Amino acid sequence: MKVPLSWLRDYVPLDMPVEQLADRLAVSTAVVAAIDRRGVPDVDGNLDLFRVGRVVEAGKHPNADRLQLCHVDVGESEPYQIVCGAWNFGTGATVAVALPGATLPGGLTLERRKLRGEISEGMILSERELELGPDHTGILVLDRGEPGTPLSDLLPLQEIVLDLEITGNRPDLLSVYGVAREVAVGFRLELSPPPGRDPEPAGSERVDVAVEDLDGCPRYVGRLFRDVRIGPSPLWLRARLTAAGMRPISNVVDVTNYVMLDLGNPLHAFDFDALGGERIVVRRARPGEELRTLDGAVRQLDSCDLMIADAERSVALAGIMGGEETEVTESTTNVLLEAANFEPSGLWRTSERLRLRTEGSNRWEKGVDPYLAETAAVLGTELIVDLTGARWVGHTDVKGDLPRRPVVSYRPEYASTSMGLEVDPVEQYDILARLGLEREDGMQTVPTWRARDLTREVDLVEEVARFKLEDVPFTLPVRREMTGRLSHEQRLRRRIEDTLAALGLSEVCTPSLAREDADPEALRLPEPISVELAVLRTSLLPNLIETARRNLEVGNERIALFEIARVYLPRGADLPDERVRVAGVTEGGFARVKAVVEALQRTLKAPARYERGAHALLHPGKTAVIEAGILGELHPTVLEGQWGGFELDLVALADAAEEPVQYADVITYPAVRQDLAFVVPLDVSAGALAEVAREAAGPELRELQTFDVYRGAPIRADRKSIAFRVEFQSPERTLSDEDAARLRQRIVDALAERFDAELRG
Amino acid sequence: MSRRESVGTVAAMDVAALESEALSAIASAPTLGALDDARVRYLGRKSELKQALRGVRDRESGLALNTARERIESAVAEREHELRSAALQDALSAEALDVTVSLPGDEVHLGTLHPTTLTRRVVEDAFLGLGYEVIEDREVETTYYNFDQLAFPPAHPTRSPRDTFFLDEERVLRTETSPSQIHVMEAKPPPIYMVSLGRVYRRDEITPTRFPIFHQFEGLAVDRHLTLADLKGTLLHVMRALYGEERQVRFRTHFFPFTEPSIEPDVSCPICELAGCRTCKFTGWIEMGGAGMVDPQVFENVGIDPTEWSGFAFGCGIERAAQLRHGIPEIRPFWENDLRVLRQF
Ligand SMILES: [Zn+2]
Repeated sequence: MKVPLSWLRDYVPLDMPVEQLADRLAVSTAVVAAIDRRGVPDVDGNLDLFRVGRVVEAGKHPNADRLQLCHVDVGESEPYQIVCGAWNFGTGATVAVALPGATLPGGLTLERRKLRGEISEGMILSERELELGPDHTGILVLDRGEPGTPLSDLLPLQEIVLDLEITGNRPDLLSVYGVAREVAVGFRLELSPPPGRDPEPAGSERVDVAVEDLDGCPRYVGRLFRDVRIGPSPLWLRARLTAAGMRPISNVVDVTNYVMLDLGNPLHAFDFDALGGERIVVRRARPGEELRTLDGAVRQLDSCDLMIADAERSVALAGIMGGEETEVTESTTNVLLEAANFEPSGLWRTSERLRLRTEGSNRWEKGVDPYLAETAAVLGTELIVDLTGARWVGHTDVKGDLPRRPVVSYRPEYASTSMGLEVDPVEQYDILARLGLEREDGMQTVPTWRARDLTREVDLVEEVARFKLEDVPFTLPVRREMTGRLSHEQRLRRRIEDTLAALGLSEVCTPSLAREDADPEALRLPEPISVELAVLRTSLLPNLIETARRNLEVGNERIALFEIARVYLPRGADLPDERVRVAGVTEGGFARVKAVVEALQRTLKAPARYERGAHALLHPGKTAVIEAGILGELHPTVLEGQWGGFELDLVALADAAEEPVQYADVITYPAVRQDLAFVVPLDVSAGALAEVAREAAGPELRELQTFDVYRGAPIRADRKSIAFRVEFQSPERTLSDEDAARLRQRIVDALAERFDAELRG
Repeated sequence: MSRRESVGTVAAMDVAALESEALSAIASAPTLGALDDARVRYLGRKSELKQALRGVRDRESGLALNTARERIESAVAEREHELRSAALQDALSAEALDVTVSLPGDEVHLGTLHPTTLTRRVVEDAFLGLGYEVIEDREVETTYYNFDQLAFPPAHPTRSPRDTFFLDEERVLRTETSPSQIHVMEAKPPPIYMVSLGRVYRRDEITPTRFPIFHQFEGLAVDRHLTLADLKGTLLHVMRALYGEERQVRFRTHFFPFTEPSIEPDVSCPICELAGCRTCKFTGWIEMGGAGMVDPQVFENVGIDPTEWSGFAFGCGIERAAQLRHGIPEIRPFWENDLRVLRQF
């Protein structure tokens, strides 16, 4: 909502600096997105160089057919000679002049200079050059003013506009008057009464309005005007609309927009003669009905859409946009002014379905006060009669049961308690009264324009609190218990992050949504914003590989990445099973990635059993599975070079982690170390041998480490040798040679039985 | 070596001369080898001194000889220490390096944590210090938890597929971490002090400063007699944990469906200190998220009596906080994951 300060001053006396106004409003009311200083730049003496001038002589420029050479009285002893490109004026016209040295809006500084051989001393201005309106087809011709009078006495040459971001609960603030009310509360200023006074009616014609759907349209004020002269609006109105960000069109349309900006109630004007049967019917759209709206688009209507119709067909999308056929044009002479009220949610659905949002729909969908329709009709009537010379000849007001004003109990001491700030009840009551609430005993009656959002005591507390926010102190809750701590998984997650970083992997953050996923059931967005972000991933590896590839492409070295994030495993129509995974991609092959995963396991004290595995992105012969997930060398077609990748379930890792670690006495009694090599068939894995060996030897086998795998002579071609270094140790006694031999024999026997393993001599 | 018939008589004379000769030979020994030669000559089995000691008969001579021996021995030890120290000093000097240089192959390659994680930990630690539990919650939500239970009105723009990723009529990618407030309040009775961190999703076009996925942290406190002042104090603590003790925080009125009153915290711009700069859009303040006192309707939705309990909630973007902490002007680097950028952290 753009609020020109000069407009705001119609309702509240402002004398504070604009920064102070903006700061206060920002805290109590709405975000101030910008303070826009429009018009003639406020630099020293600049304003004095803008004067009223009278053209004492005007004729064609001797050297240019398209230019006029004028002599203009600007209140100095001699007229100024000014070259001008416009022809919409002549001798005797009162014009706006900028003298040499003046800096125009936009920053251009004028100089005395020759134009096609003739001196030009300044510029005769158009309204666009003064940022008062969009028109630059001709210069601005004034209807009054003596030569030499400062232009700023007649025209708003400078304007400051506050751009406020109004929240959805405050449609009353989508109006200058509503903002003025907030300023009046914040600075304890007197607020003028709302604008508008009905002129004397010039007739009493019947205005035929039928509202078939009072739920969708609780109120419809229709007013009829005859002998309307359509033309441009006066400069003050054009300047206000322009400053507020709207484009002036014609007097009647400008009035509807002006009233909307001033009061917050959108209006619509119909060409009365274009209305079939001279009648308005508010109803839902008929099956198959369509409407060409003002923007030229043909809209296919739905039976939920609320329409303004005449006796035959729909003529406007209620509250959203008018129809082309009943638009007010230059030839319009009779106007039906609509000051209605529309119910928000139905209107929102229509604007949502048609993807059509307008200044009007933006207000209706937030819920406009139905009592405001009449005030808006009055102001609109006054302005139309004033500006177009029309006769106001008819009035109707169709309404359903309008909502009652909420009555809310209010305890100032409760407000103080919940704010944590003692505020004098007198001050609290004053704030509420300035906002329009009426107090009787312990009850507050809410004004109609806040009836939707002030219905409970807590809502009223907020009204007081927002004007006292800066005074509320900073305290911390007084607590009887304090029990914050990280969970087991959260602590392990941090340890995993730190360990992987220490191992040289850098953490990345990649999108949860991917272009494709290996799981055909993976959840897919029906309306993604791009094809790259379409499917909820079921694995982190593809994005990590992609990230590694991009790093490779830009020439980065030592690429090693990891990510901890969720995957979304589909479960039909239910919510997906969201699992937190840790995944990584690193330069180097299988050995490197296994070293990383094993380091993780060591830091977590989470031992794992490795088995051969398979994964589409991994090398078929260099892939292992453990309980928590998968690891392996990346398939050579996936990424050039030798790479390793892993993806593990964080919860599974955490479940396997031993915490707290249990102490073992490894000092008191010495360990017995031995190397054992076994010859086994080729398909037997070291992991399988180790597992059986551990099982056979029991807890006194403290360490078992593979240190060599060998194929070749003198071993048979269908066999290989796997060598282990073992350590036997007991926490209770020194193991004798016989003990060690017995343990060793158990391993040898078990491996022989299970794998046909022979101990090498 | 000459034999002496009467050691007793010559000893007094000889000992003094011998000692002084020995001490000077030891002190001037240039190397450890020379020192050892001197030691052998004056203290060895065949040395004059040792022979005299073996032949001594009277107590007085023995005492004099032993004193001389001790002095010579300690002179040897001292000289040996001197020579060894000098040798070590020479060796160390010879090994001196240019300590300002690091050559390839010598460095330990460390990875780094993502700036989002660094900031997440600061937030977690700040709240742990206040006695909050840290939770993570699901990202795919029902409209019931994402909107209805949070008292979003039917026409709220966030309910529109233009703002929110819908999987179907009933499932959405959560638009804020707030549904986890509801999950926690449904799961356990108050008092509740929790902060929830994780990814949220908004249907924003991808630009250098926006990405449709980002991380949020969301706090909730429910207890007896919590006040707006408690919310202000809590946010001040967190903002200072994130941006430094000298930061100021101000609060502005705002609107959220699930809080009443609703406020937005601003933190004083750390770049310009309120003077106004491009980062703070020349206001001196930077918006940090949303907050407010829990709306009684939300309490009623989850079966908590709003006359007995009050609460506050707040949510802020983690990337946004990380941007401000590290001076990252855009969102793009957070998702590009270029190691040249990541290795800075
Ligand atoms: Zn700044």
